[in-house]
Amino acid sequence: MVRSAGKNELLPGTLEMLVLQTLKNGRRHGYGIAQRIQEISDDVLQVEEGSLYPALQRLLVKGLVKAEWGTSENNRRARYYTLTPAGRKELGTEAENFDRVVAAIARVMRTA
Amino acid sequence: MSFLGQAWRRFMFLLRRGQMDRDLAEELRQHAALKAQKNVASGMDPDEAHYAAQRQIGNVTRMMEESRQSWGFPALERVWQDIRYGLRGLRKSPGFTTVAMLTLALGIGASTAIFSIVNTVLLRPLPYKDSSRLVHVWTVSSMFPEFTLGQSIPNLQDIEARSHSFETLATYEVRARNLIGNGEPEQLRTAEVSSSFLALFGVHPVVGRDFRSEDEQRKDGDVVLLSYGLWQRRFGGDGSIVGKAIMLDQKPWTVAGVLPSGFSFPGNIDALVPREIPPGNLRERQAWLYITLGKLRPGVPFAMAQSEMNGIAAALAHQYPQDDGSIQFPLVTLQDAATRNGKPQLLALLGAVGFLLLIACANVSNLVLSRGLQRQREIAVRTALGASRRRILHQLLIESLLLAMAGGAAGAVLAIAGVRLFRALAPAGFPRIEELHTEPVTLLIALIVSALAGILCGLAPALTITRAHLNLSIRDTSAASSAPAHLFSLRSFLVVAEVALALILLTGSALMAQSMMRLLRADTGLTTDHLLTGELTLPKALYDSKDSQHLFLERLLQALQTQAQFSGAVLTNTPLLTGSVTVTSFDPAVLGSSEKKTTLEIRSVTPDYFLMLGIRVQQGRIFNERDTTGALSVALINEAMARRFFPGEDPLGKPLKFDDDDKTPSQIVGVVADTRDSGLNAPPRLQAYFPILQNPSERVHILVRSSVDPAAAIAGLQRAVWSVDKNLPLSKTRTMGEVISESVAEPRFRTWLLSIFAIAGLTLTLIGIYGVISYSVRQRTREMGIRIALGAQSGSLLGLVLRQAVVLALTGAVAGIIGSLLLMRLLASQLFEIKPGDPVTLIGASLLMMIVALAASWLPARRATRVDPMIALRDE
Repeated sequence: MVRSAGKNELLPGTLEMLVLQTLKNGRRHGYGIAQRIQEISDDVLQVEEGSLYPALQRLLVKGLVKAEWGTSENNRRARYYTLTPAGRKELGTEAENFDRVVAAIARVMRTA
Repeated sequence: MSFLGQAWRRFMFLLRRGQMDRDLAEELRQHAALKAQKNVASGMDPDEAHYAAQRQIGNVTRMMEESRQSWGFPALERVWQDIRYGLRGLRKSPGFTTVAMLTLALGIGASTAIFSIVNTVLLRPLPYKDSSRLVHVWTVSSMFPEFTLGQSIPNLQDIEARSHSFETLATYEVRARNLIGNGEPEQLRTAEVSSSFLALFGVHPVVGRDFRSEDEQRKDGDVVLLSYGLWQRRFGGDGSIVGKAIMLDQKPWTVAGVLPSGFSFPGNIDALVPREIPPGNLRERQAWLYITLGKLRPGVPFAMAQSEMNGIAAALAHQYPQDDGSIQFPLVTLQDAATRNGKPQLLALLGAVGFLLLIACANVSNLVLSRGLQRQREIAVRTALGASRRRILHQLLIESLLLAMAGGAAGAVLAIAGVRLFRALAPAGFPRIEELHTEPVTLLIALIVSALAGILCGLAPALTITRAHLNLSIRDTSAASSAPAHLFSLRSFLVVAEVALALILLTGSALMAQSMMRLLRADTGLTTDHLLTGELTLPKALYDSKDSQHLFLERLLQALQTQAQFSGAVLTNTPLLTGSVTVTSFDPAVLGSSEKKTTLEIRSVTPDYFLMLGIRVQQGRIFNERDTTGALSVALINEAMARRFFPGEDPLGKPLKFDDDDKTPSQIVGVVADTRDSGLNAPPRLQAYFPILQNPSERVHILVRSSVDPAAAIAGLQRAVWSVDKNLPLSKTRTMGEVISESVAEPRFRTWLLSIFAIAGLTLTLIGIYGVISYSVRQRTREMGIRIALGAQSGSLLGLVLRQAVVLALTGAVAGIIGSLLLMRLLASQLFEIKPGDPVTLIGASLLMMIVALAASWLPARRATRVDPMIALRDE
């Protein structure tokens, strides 16, 4: 589950999209992904490990990411995730959908 | 992200799941380490930082569990897990498993056996090419109400010319013929067929050739096709028989070919010969002798063909009103015609096994429920650990499916044995019995029935058990606590349903049994003890005139009467008590009556017939030796005929003819009592008797009374026939007792089967009631203990428990009686002289049910009275 700081749940499927987005510019390990999301969102979005790892497994099964063991900056063994071409394509679609939904919500919030 | 690609990855992950697991665990460890590092960086003590990281990550096991679910096939894995868990559970309670399995095996076995018989006999297409397009084209005429007739040649030719529905039409007539040479003479069942007959069935001879149309004109002389069975039995399967002659009815017939094995239409035929239509029949529209089959053109629906035939019948009725102004040509599919005999009884049996299966399921349902209640705590614990209700429901259903499959496997064995037994014991002439084999479809049916039974007996208990209150179950430490009320009501419902179903089964079989007994005791009006019978057919070639037939009959009677072992001997043209009758169309107008045309049963006999069979003479005289050719034609009528057409008059001396065209009226010389001479369940018809010597016939039935051993008497009978004509085979030699026994073979078989099912149902119900009552006694142990401690007498405790059983049984009995009243009407056509709603039967069956209920609850009730109050109370 991704929670915003106010403990409100996000739309389902959003976490997977966020994960894909963080991998857009290169490989990251699980901890790095969680950190990156938290960082960019200015601590608004906190990723729980209990949601992150099952989500990564799902992405693996769907063939959207690949995983391989490597060595981290401080010489630790770490499992790095990379986008596959299918993952890149999926990210494009999801981002587009997301923009549409956000724009729609914004319109509703402005007028209703 | 194709579906296939994903499935492939899942499969690969499944294979590498150990590696995946290790990777994930390692990854999480690294994650925790990184987190701890960060905590240290923000100023925490290293130990504390480590624990904080663990805390933040949370339940690692659960996370692994959730991650694993995205690999592989979680649904399948769950099923596999449930199956293993279920098997372990079943192994742990062998008593429960055995009883439930055997109960299901009984229900599944019986219903699978009967259903696969129904499938073979009623549902499977007949074993002919395009058999669904084969139909009988019958004639129904106002001259023979209640009979279906063949076609006359002129009508058939008109149908061929005017109809567009048929690809082929063919006719046949069955006739007995005598085969001589190559051993003892033998009576064969032959059919005279049109040359299109085999083509209609899509059958070709295995050796030799089919009939050609010239064969009907006897271009190549007389030719014959042998059945495969006859070919093997009489001619050793010798292929060189084709082209050789065999002696049939004292004439040589050239063998044209041999029919394939398995083809024996119509009804176990021994040989086929081309039809030979007497010139007279070519023009006679009323000679409805040729049983006609049609093969519908592809795509022509049955209803369309029937409406075309209705049109042709109407046109012919209009065109030839003097022949029959109301003729009809009903079509009946060959499938319906072939299975008509077995249908009502098979459907009754199917209903019975369906009920038996339901009873078995109700019983197992109750067992599963009791077991579930004992497992309440286990289930509560699993729920507390996070198993959803759906998951537990799933698991309980898998368990009952496992039980049903095990029962089904045993049931399949039972069904295979049952089908074999059915085949061995079925009465002669049961339709398509020779096609009954154990086949893969039996196993498939067993599988389907098992799956249904598994769901049926597992669903209700599973729903009930998972609905029970969670906290209540955990908190309760005492197994003697009372179950929530709704659990009890499901159990009661199941028992009530069992009692009702068993009662319906019981009523059905009791009705059948009584009908059977009444049938056997039916007064035929005939004295049949120590009677032997045999049949022979005089070949036309040798006995071509009435004179030659007359001579034969006189000699035969003499030969029989000179044998000392026979105290009496008579001849007649129609067998007794086999269901066959000889009838003629009768126009009551000739007697000055205004009634519609009807059918009259006619029988030719020798003078001693009435005396020997004990038929009372009511008026006038019976026949004597002087009533022979040349003398005045005489007739006897039965009481029914006298009552109907000569009310308040003296019929003696009146002329009897069949219609206005009848130029040779007979004088009525006497009136005899009514008999049921065609069958035990056939009500007496209008009947007239004629002296056989004035009306010789080629079919002769011999009846002799003898007190010697039947086998010896039959040998004597055969000797007497051979002393007159050494080439005449005597067939169907039996004692009259055997004839009667055969005539009730079908109802007897049906009664036996139904009774077996009813007894099985009753036994299961007994077990069911026992189970419920003893369970309830166990639940109320504490209550019983308190009652005893307060001074209750054992009699009153006994009453308390028995009352509960009586209430259940009574409720079930009322439902069963209502069900019986509704359902037994369906049996009406199979019952003889007993009403479907016979009150004595209903009350008797209900009483038996009550006794069974009381017997079943007696043991648990006794147990209740022996509860030791100290132990019961300490049980808490």
